Parts: sequence; C-alpha cells; structure tokens
Amino acid sequence: MKVSPGDLIPDWLMESVRPERMRTMAAILRDPNPVHWDRNACDALGFGQRTINQGPLGLSYMVNMLHAWAGQGCLLRLVMTFPKVVLDGDRITARGAVTAVREVDGERFADCDIWLEREPGDRPLIGTATVKLPD
Amino acid sequence: MAGVRPIPPEAEIRAIVGHSFPGGIYTVAHWENFLLTECTGADLLADGMVHPVVLFHMPILGCGASIAEMFALGQAESDFSIGIESYDWEMFSPLHEDVPYAISGKVVSAERRMTPDNQPYDRIQFQFGVAQADGVLAARTTITWIYRRGLSS
Repeated sequence: MKVSPGDLIPDWLMESVRPERMRTMAAILRDPNPVHWDRNACDALGFGQRTINQGPLGLSYMVNMLHAWAGQGCLLRLVMTFPKVVLDGDRITARGAVTAVREVDGERFADCDIWLEREPGDRPLIGTATVKLPD
Repeated sequence: MAGVRPIPPEAEIRAIVGHSFPGGIYTVAHWENFLLTECTGADLLADGMVHPVVLFHMPILGCGASIAEMFALGQAESDFSIGIESYDWEMFSPLHEDVPYAISGKVVSAERRMTPDNQPYDRIQFQFGVAQADGVLAARTTITWIYRRGLSS
C-alpha cells in the first residue's frame, strides 16, 4: 500500500444518523442523558425534535473509514474533539488526509487528520489518528 | 421555577484529582459487540475482534464507575451542562469478544477555567487502563469533559 503525506483517505458515508441507534447505544452505555433518546428534551434545548448523537458514535464513523482504508485492527490512536453536535437525520461523511508517514522497525505508520463533515466546511467532529499501514 | 445553582468551590473540584474507581474485570459478549457494531453502521469485524467504539463505555463500566457517577463526581449542574472537550483512545492491541480484561480508572486532572466571555467551567480528565490477563495494557483512554457552571436549572 503506497501512502504519502497529502493523500486523501476514501470517504465513509453515514447516509442518515438514526435515532434508534442512539437509543441502543444509550442502553448499552447506561447513559442517562436524555439528549440521546428524548426528542422533547432536545427541543427544550433548542435543537428541535432531533436527538443528539453520542460522541463515540460519531467517532466510530471515522474508525469505519480508517478500517476500510488501512484494514481492521490498524488503529493505534484517536484523539477527537467535538466542536458541534450531530443530530438524528444528519447525512454525515467521515473524511481524512494523511499528514505524515513514518517507518519504525520495519513497520509503517501514518498520522492523519480526520473529521466528520455535514456540509462543506461544517465539521462537527475534528481530530487526529495514527494507523499502522498494511504491507 | 428556573434558577441558577451555586457553583461548587474550586477546592472541591481540585480535590477529586487522584480519585480512583474500584476497578474490575470486563468481558465484551458477542451480543454486545454485535449491537455496538450495528450502531456504527459497520459489519462485524473479523475473528471476534471488538469494534473500537467499545472503548468509551467498557472502561467506565468495567472499572465500576458509571456516566452518572462521573457527572456527580464533578458536581454537574445537570446532564445538559456536560460538554465533551476530547476523547483520546490509545490502542496497543485489538480487543476480542469473550476475553476478560482488567480495568482501572481514576481522575487525573480537575481544574477551574474561564470561557472567553468570562463564564466559569470545570475541566475534568478521567483516564482508564484496559489490561490483558498478563497485565499488559491493551488500551488506554482519556476522557476530558467540561462541566459548565452557572446555567439555569
């Protein structure tokens, strides 16, 4: 696999963020925060009748993008910030770009900028990742 | 009736640094990995590998904590007052279904800060370790949450 700084990682698309998945996540996470499962609570906060996606779920879209690109188990580190919320019904694309490629003890690693994009320029999640590159 | 809750003393927030959760063992069952992975929109990973999204709740629940307890530890004004600053997930080896992992967790940082428009908030960092049976660390996660203060209740 030939990888160079500046390469774009192939996009990974979540066509529509689904509220029922947030409810499943809330149950598994034992997350009491109603913003993930009660649309009226979100409405009261000014988000309208749309629940807020859990941060880890948004992050997982970028994991899926990196797995599809560099293979399952490639991920070594993710650092993610959450400048905006993702809401149910959003169409979200995970995107990324390689910033550096390193070789250590015969293995190759890529550092990447990664983000979620709702519309051009609208990036609700922004972060970095380090992945081990396949041979 | 709406109101503003008193802001906890800064010393009480600083005092939670070093607080350790009980610790424990966590095993990701197949059903749990199946449901989690489906929520991400991906197919199950090969050979019983657990989707990395597990690295949010597995450390929290596995060390005997809960999201609600973490909110309470920082004296959150409400569920709505919590914001995420960052999640830092370090993965040293893939996790697998039906394998018991030893989990530890503690508060590593807690400090009061001010927003650019002079509103106080508390920035609290929790760090968790996920270790294999031989004690070797398989993953480490750092959660940094902000606890907004002075919001209407």
